[in-house]
Amino acid sequence: MEQSPKILRSYSKGRKSGAPSWMWQRITGLALVILTVGHYIWMHYTPESGHSFDTTADRLANPVFRGMYIGFITIGMYHGVQGCWNVIRDFKFRPWITYTLIGSLVIAALVFLGIGYNTVLAFDPTKP
Amino acid sequence: MAYIPPRKPVGTWSRIMMAYHRYSGSWAYVLHRISGIGLTVYLFVHIWALSSLSHGRAEFQHEMDIFTTLPFKIVEWVLGLLVMFHAFNGIRIAVVDLGEGAKYHKKLLAAVWVGGITVVAFMFVLIFQEELFGHPIF
Repeated sequence: MEQSPKILRSYSKGRKSGAPSWMWQRITGLALVILTVGHYIWMHYTPESGHSFDTTADRLANPVFRGMYIGFITIGMYHGVQGCWNVIRDFKFRPWITYTLIGSLVIAALVFLGIGYNTVLAFDPTKP
Repeated sequence: MAYIPPRKPVGTWSRIMMAYHRYSGSWAYVLHRISGIGLTVYLFVHIWALSSLSHGRAEFQHEMDIFTTLPFKIVEWVLGLLVMFHAFNGIRIAVVDLGEGAKYHKKLLAAVWVGGITVVAFMFVLIFQEELFGHPIF
């Protein structure tokens, strides 16, 4: 592991090679291991913990939780889109197919990020 | 001498699959990509499903009543399979890429399977505790 700082420095310079994205994919991936596994256990260890309006409302009343959710969906979406982007690019489709697939993916990701942010930030626990 | 028929691939996909099947790491690569695409699709579905929170208590609770039925619990557990494989194998990839993992990546892959299967088995008990024991135990 002692060579890691050197690798980090060398990859941070290769801006046009896609290497920073490669590194970010590893960094966000490791963050997501903690966030996803933690989320999965925390939200789903009993049927009540993840599927009750009141429990969810209590959680969303906490700004730390709100921030964590926003960070979670942002990092998750980045990692997912970046991963699919790589898969699409590796297939070496015709350029117009690649641009259409990646363009649709990025637009869909931005729209769904907006939906996710709206759900977390505009949540009203008093709404019947 | 026995006649061994030539194994000609019938198409591009079978040629790819035949090239992959000899190496465990190659299968891990394929499974990592398939599980990754599955999880990305699920993230979209998850965000869409939970947007019912902004429509109020009644709509959210109605949706959750559907999600706590047995078919959805099975889907949730299958999702756990994807999550755990992708997470454990992702750690392996990071160790191989950033550390000295290339020297023992096959042992790491064995650890991925053992760790993943253990967690997924535990998740089976957590998710299906009411069906298994008749009441929640956790």
